[in-house]
Amino acid sequence: MLELQRNVIFGQFVDTGSMIHRLDPRFKIAAVVVMLAASFLIDDFLGFAVAFALLALIQVASGIPLGYLLRGSQLFFGFLLFILFFQVLFYPGDVSDYLWQWGILSISPEGLKYAAILGLRVVFLYYVTTMLMLTTSLVDLTNGLELIFGPLQRIGVPVNELVLVFVIAIKFVPIFLEEIERLARAQTARGVPFDEGGAIRRARRIGRLLVPIFISGFARADLLSTAMYTRCYRGGRYRTKLRQMKASTTDWAMLALVVAWMVVAWQV
Amino acid sequence: MKHDTTPIIELRNFSYTYLEGTPRANEAIQDVSLAIQRGERVAIVGPSHSGKSTVVDAFAHLLRLKSGQVFYEGEDVAAPGYDRAALRRDVGIVFQQPDSQLIEDVVGADVAFGPTAAGLPAEETRRRVEESLEALGLPYPEYRLRYIYALSGGQRRRVAIAGVLAMHTTMLVLDEPMAGLDPRGRRELLGLLRRLADDRDLTLVVCSASLGDASLLCDRVVVLDEGRVAMDGSLREVLREAERLASLDITLPEPTAGARELGKLFPDLPADVLTEEELEAELLTRLGVA
Repeated sequence: MLELQRNVIFGQFVDTGSMIHRLDPRFKIAAVVVMLAASFLIDDFLGFAVAFALLALIQVASGIPLGYLLRGSQLFFGFLLFILFFQVLFYPGDVSDYLWQWGILSISPEGLKYAAILGLRVVFLYYVTTMLMLTTSLVDLTNGLELIFGPLQRIGVPVNELVLVFVIAIKFVPIFLEEIERLARAQTARGVPFDEGGAIRRARRIGRLLVPIFISGFARADLLSTAMYTRCYRGGRYRTKLRQMKASTTDWAMLALVVAWMVVAWQV
Repeated sequence: MKHDTTPIIELRNFSYTYLEGTPRANEAIQDVSLAIQRGERVAIVGPSHSGKSTVVDAFAHLLRLKSGQVFYEGEDVAAPGYDRAALRRDVGIVFQQPDSQLIEDVVGADVAFGPTAAGLPAEETRRRVEESLEALGLPYPEYRLRYIYALSGGQRRRVAIAGVLAMHTTMLVLDEPMAGLDPRGRRELLGLLRRLADDRDLTLVVCSASLGDASLLCDRVVVLDEGRVAMDGSLREVLREAERLASLDITLPEPTAGARELGKLFPDLPADVLTEEELEAELLTRLGVA
């Protein structure tokens, strides 16, 4: 059977109540931005080794089971390997030290190294953003983003609306996964075997789910917007917050640690 | 005569946990054993999250079985090489949300989906579509080309049931068939299901949080609570424990609920009152009128 919810982790929030969960969302988002920037500056294996050590620390502190994270990332890793494979083959390295060549396809030491660094970078980006979503509830994420980008509102950027759209999109991912599983089960019962056949036949069957998924998606969006109207939602500066965020020393210390760690990873 | 002794479907020590091995794991069914004989009419009742739908999914092998076994006509459905497609042609399921099992856009094509997938000739398929739609009170010429998304919820449920009927299944499993129907729609669907079960000699399984509807269709009741079988017996046996049913938040049939209320006045009033006539007779005896 299709078990998407077990195998796709994106957009899920797992509350373990850890120290990372309790951090101020603004600082978490800031730390993620710092790490994203650093991942583009780091360009050697040693640097990534240092950077990944921080990820190990975060992993332990978050209390989220590593097995859960890895299984939920299988699809992503498969896709990444697929892309890196072509990255290596088409990398225009130095012809003199090609390890293998066939027409325009080649494998060079440079190409391998470049692909490895690129792979590490993408894994790093993926881990950091996934961890942010796993450890931050949607409410916190929304509030954090709104406060960080709030000043842009003054120059006419519709920050609240953009954040709302972003958050709703993320929120719909698990709902859609559940819905797809339900549809797949019901259609299997009617004689479309989702649990049999090769990869291509399976993929074609998933196509059958698209129309009902789109229809229910639009219905859901329609319902949500009606619900928001009836409850007098109006975005932007009119909204007040029940919980005011206050930065603590821990938050500052965490951000300082991340910045320092990333600078070290970049400079080594 | 294998069928006389072998249950048509049997769950043996079946347990199931959703999202097993993740922080969101949810244990839905714990060690449920249940055997249903051919021709039985069984109601599976229980409050929400008691595991009814999981049991339904297990009947047609729609879950990855980890713990426990499911036997259809004595054969283990998880055995390698077992013909699951044949199992699903025999066990017809009408899910809680009819939309999820409607595959085509047009009523006729959707009802024809199962028979076509099973490889029946076009002539036979057409005959079955017509017969199934008519049986559900949806006249074939009028509904054949209607768009499913333009139908009402009740009509969609009928189309979903027609799609299962067209398969001529030996078992018909309905998950909350009355949910969201108005009183008239419920009466009609009840009458229809009773007729169908009689005419076609179906093994019928009805899941519901209410014994009211199920009591009119079924003669055996299995009560689920938190993923375990809490009670299993004939309708009357189970109704005798009306207090326990009420504590599990299961809606009682109206005469039974009435008898339970009146039990305060007449402590010797039986709990397993099924019909209004019975209730009336019991009351009249106690009032010394009859």
